[in-house]
Amino acid sequence: MLLARRAGKTPDAKAIAAAAADIWPQVMAQLAPVIGVRGVNVLLRRALHLTSAAFPWLQITGDQEGGAALLQTLTTRLAGQGVSSATEASRELLETFTELLTTLIGEALTERLLGPVWAHPSTVPQQETGT
Amino acid sequence: MNDKVAIRRLATGVPGLDAILGGGLPEFSFNLIVGPPGSGKTTLAHQIMFGLATKERPALFFTVLGEPPLKMFRYQQQFDFFELTRVNESIHFVNLSEEVTEGNFDHVLARIMREVETASPGLVFVDSFRSIMLEAPRQDQGAIGLQQFTQQLGMFLSSWEATTFLVGEYSPEGQPHPIFTVADGLLVLDQSVRRNSMVRQMQVLKMRGQATRPGKQTFRISNAGVEVFPAALVRDDTGASESAASGSGRTRARLGMGVPLLDEMLGGGLPSGYSMLVAGPSGSGKTILATAFLAEGVRVGEPGVVVAFEQTPSQSRATMLDDMIRAGKVGLINTRSLDLSIDEIVQRLIDLIHRMKATRVVIDSLSGFELAVAPSFRDDFRESLFRMVAVLSGLGVTVLMTSELEDRYDDLRFSPYGSAFLTDAIIVERYIEIESRLKRVLAVVKVRGSAHSNELRQFKITDDGIVIGDPVHDYQGLLSGRPTQTPTPHKVA
Repeated sequence: MLLARRAGKTPDAKAIAAAAADIWPQVMAQLAPVIGVRGVNVLLRRALHLTSAAFPWLQITGDQEGGAALLQTLTTRLAGQGVSSATEASRELLETFTELLTTLIGEALTERLLGPVWAHPSTVPQQETGT
Repeated sequence: MNDKVAIRRLATGVPGLDAILGGGLPEFSFNLIVGPPGSGKTTLAHQIMFGLATKERPALFFTVLGEPPLKMFRYQQQFDFFELTRVNESIHFVNLSEEVTEGNFDHVLARIMREVETASPGLVFVDSFRSIMLEAPRQDQGAIGLQQFTQQLGMFLSSWEATTFLVGEYSPEGQPHPIFTVADGLLVLDQSVRRNSMVRQMQVLKMRGQATRPGKQTFRISNAGVEVFPAALVRDDTGASESAASGSGRTRARLGMGVPLLDEMLGGGLPSGYSMLVAGPSGSGKTILATAFLAEGVRVGEPGVVVAFEQTPSQSRATMLDDMIRAGKVGLINTRSLDLSIDEIVQRLIDLIHRMKATRVVIDSLSGFELAVAPSFRDDFRESLFRMVAVLSGLGVTVLMTSELEDRYDDLRFSPYGSAFLTDAIIVERYIEIESRLKRVLAVVKVRGSAHSNELRQFKITDDGIVIGDPVHDYQGLLSGRPTQTPTPHKVA
């Protein structure tokens, strides 16, 4: 699992949050130039909405929250959860987001756009996520 | 001195487009693709991009608010030309909506310039510039205006050695926008709906430095993308050289019609390269005559092509014709769609003629043809027919067209389109009533530049085809539909 790998061997919720805080900007960096910041935001909000069915604490309301603010809120919420819940929710959210994109533009194009994010797993130094 | 700059023309890869552009797209030109919503602008832009972009000549596609990029990707990837593997390889998409929403052209321009400088693309697309225009009123005071924006953009991109396309919803018939003056090329797409048919047309209003094909050209969008059908060019026959001029196929040779006695009536067969009209009422045997003409061609090794406009092709088509088509000896263009342009048919026909190396062409029938042609083109049907016959004659093929003719007994007409004068030879078939039976007669009305029979002959349709009988001697007033028997002269002993 990508996030767990990034968060280190024995992650805590904070590490998971940090890993999420690391991966989402990368997703944003890959997608925003192509589909626009708004495009990514809309997708992320939709993914959050869908994921919040299982993890109600992921329900983020407030229309005004833009890209950076939305990610900040997400990171904070993850950090406030238990490890398993944070990991599960993070994984679910990322999967939902990818599936959503796949539904819209197909697997091949999604793979082309997001491939670099999966290809370079971690830019976060190991010690930051340490034990 | 011969040191003029040579403008390289890029082959767009869009079928037919290079021809109407006058030989391709000038490199480093600044072009506009405009038209109403749904006219195919974005599709054309994408197709050109996928056709031209290479690793050495990468493309940048700027998307602006017009169409959400996600949707664009969703729908554009349905086209065959959209090769997913080339995205982020030779083709890069850049979304500009943030800059545009800010409403500052300086920022939009700066972003475009920054991206172009970084990627150094050979091709730049901005879709759509109308979105940029709409934001114009929100411009800050003192910032550059739209005209300067487009001018600067055009200047920057051409000097950056990029071939550029601005895509936009814009009708040039309205107030001319300064952007049209700046552009080197202006491509206007249009779609017109009449009755139940929709016709797409494209016009090159401007393409600096080269002779474009004038007028509106039809195009079609299928899964393969855009295909343009340039109006067939009729070359002038200067009569200078017999071999080079049009009608090079007109040798002295005559083609057999495949119907015994008919060749004789035509004065020895149909001269090669001629166009013939077979006119007659429904069921009189026009298609059978046309089939015999093709079958005779197959027999002597002259491949043929048939353009059929029938509602139920395989049922009504003679088995013989069907067999020849299945055997690949006769090419078939069969269409039941009702929104064709004549140019599209002619284009397909020419391709097929070349492919089959055909020398005999049958169009069955002109009446069906007229129905199949979109209503918008029916007004020009005669003119287009003229062009088609001229083009086919230029190819040197021998053409047989059938025409459904209502039996009228008060006047003698050969075609409802005044197309009789277009053709070199005419055979007319009619029904007559003799002894309470409906009988068929045919006559050769015209064979240009050749002696031919002037007899009205009865004919029968048998399992073996048309069997021509004797001239109808004993009757007069046949064409009036009410023939009377001429009194037989008493034999003198």
